[in-house]
Amino acid sequence: MDIIRTHNLSKEYHMGKVKVHALIGIDICIKQGEFVAIMGPSGSGKSTLMHIIGCLDRPTEGEYYLDDVLVSAMPKSALATVRNHKIGFVFQSFNLLPHLNVLKNVELPLMYGGMNARKRNIRAREILEGVGLDDRLKHKPTELSGGQRQRVAIARAIVNNPSILLADEPTGNLDSQAGGDILQIFEDLHKAGNTVIMVTHDQAVADRADRIIRIMDGKIFDGNPLS
Amino acid sequence: MAIPLAESIRIGLADILMRKVRSVVTVIGIVLGVMCIMVVLAIVNGMNKSTMAWMQERGGLNKIEVQANWNYDFSKGGDPSFTLKEIRFIESQIPEATAFNPTISKWNSTLTNGDKRFSGWVGGVMPDMTIVDEWDVDKGRFVKDIDVQNNSNVIVLGSEVAQDLFGNRNPIGNTITLDDTKLMVVGIMKYRYMKPQGGGAAFSENYLDYLNQRSFVPLSTMLSKINPGTKIANLDIRAANPAAAAVLRKKVENTVLNLKHGKRVFQVNSAKEQMESMKKNNMIFSVIFVLIAVISLLVGGIVIMNIMLAAIKERTREIGVRLAIGARGRDIFLQFLVQTVLITSMGGVLGILLGYGILGQVSKFLEINVVASVQMIWAALSVSVGVGLIFGVLPAVRASRLDPVIALREE
Repeated sequence: MDIIRTHNLSKEYHMGKVKVHALIGIDICIKQGEFVAIMGPSGSGKSTLMHIIGCLDRPTEGEYYLDDVLVSAMPKSALATVRNHKIGFVFQSFNLLPHLNVLKNVELPLMYGGMNARKRNIRAREILEGVGLDDRLKHKPTELSGGQRQRVAIARAIVNNPSILLADEPTGNLDSQAGGDILQIFEDLHKAGNTVIMVTHDQAVADRADRIIRIMDGKIFDGNPLS
Repeated sequence: MAIPLAESIRIGLADILMRKVRSVVTVIGIVLGVMCIMVVLAIVNGMNKSTMAWMQERGGLNKIEVQANWNYDFSKGGDPSFTLKEIRFIESQIPEATAFNPTISKWNSTLTNGDKRFSGWVGGVMPDMTIVDEWDVDKGRFVKDIDVQNNSNVIVLGSEVAQDLFGNRNPIGNTITLDDTKLMVVGIMKYRYMKPQGGGAAFSENYLDYLNQRSFVPLSTMLSKINPGTKIANLDIRAANPAAAAVLRKKVENTVLNLKHGKRVFQVNSAKEQMESMKKNNMIFSVIFVLIAVISLLVGGIVIMNIMLAAIKERTREIGVRLAIGARGRDIFLQFLVQTVLITSMGGVLGILLGYGILGQVSKFLEINVVASVQMIWAALSVSVGVGLIFGVLPAVRASRLDPVIALREE
């Protein structure tokens, strides 16, 4: 079953008077449970594609189906709910809220999902235990190493059982040891049946995926986009 | 489904506690504004209460007074006094009046009982005085109609007069001398007391001491025996109720004006209208100060708006993260609006507490009554919440409209 399907996806920006075509006619399909890497140099449009797949942005043209729902036509407020329920983000720079402790950071998506405080506490503890951070619950992100922070971010991304896990250069800010650990967690999540989409420019990282989609100048130029 | 308000309040409180210094600086304008409103309203409230108490002591809001108009230029002729006949005419014109009391004043009267003497004011009055002034005898009786008819030689003493002339003995039934006239004491007036306000305390322990020094004889006795040839200079009338006082005052004024051939030698005042004009004056005073306080609140509000806008700029990335993990625009809106309102209401509470604290000092310093009321606390609190709502909306809207992609890119 295709969890992601796009048809003729295009995105235009206006940089002053200049029109920029960030994406031009992208057609991709990603199956439930796949581990896909999106590769491309900077300026290729891979970030824009990730933003659209992650429902942070909407295409100028074309259709995007997530779980067979046409999300490209949804209003912004509905997209927020889609992000909350179906998408887990992991960023290069972790993006944890610095003034909240580890537990509160992981609880955040559950709070926006409307879960009550007691339930989300239990759920967040459970997930943090899964990434081996159950002894760091009350720590602030600044008190953790980079690898630990990224594990908190992964816990936050999967706490809501999303349909897809979207990672943007998740190892970019980590040393090779910590980066390897994080990739191992993604592989484990993939083996457990999760759909993982990882944006990277590191071939070694991309090689761990089932499939690589390469983007250049807003178009897919290599790989097998339709798998 | 938005996140519950309680959640926004929790987030807001955490943010405020985390940025303590900023929160305190943010809120100073509101604290001062609310404090000012609190103090001014308490002072005005106290002034109104004092005025009211004073009016009550003088016979309440039903009272209408006719007295010489000192603004009138008497060189144009005219005499600020009534004959008994004129008084009777006025009385016949206003049957709706509840009570009617013309007064002849005799200053510097000397009352003697054996070797004891008392100098003071003696009034020739009608029995209605007890109704008009809401002041009755403590012992014995007051001047009666029969005394007026018979020009009886009776006198009712003020409590201080009785004390001075008779000490602790019962004066009733004893005869005293007023100038050359022998009068029998038939009653003692009730002791009157009112706590002085403001500068008054320097002059007297009791605002109403002058009443305790007064004595009363029948109007007819005054006219025929004690002070023949004097005329009636004062007339007090009581309306059925405060609402009727204004209409009755107008009627009395017209009657008196006609009687005096259109010359305004008398002024006719109603306690109710005086009270209202005093309240109006107090109101003007309070409006000016509240306006100043409101300006301070507006400035405070603008400061808060600025700080919130800066805070949102600073927290753009946080907002981006929140949006990415599923916060809706309205969640972000609520988060920042609630935070602003929390800050301003805390400022409001602080202002109320400070205002309460300095009220005591203000009242001591100005020697006036200040009266804080629950309504004022509500007013101050709703004003501070209102400022938060008004000035919190713009920053909250701006935060809620952030594009998640751009917000996440922010360093």
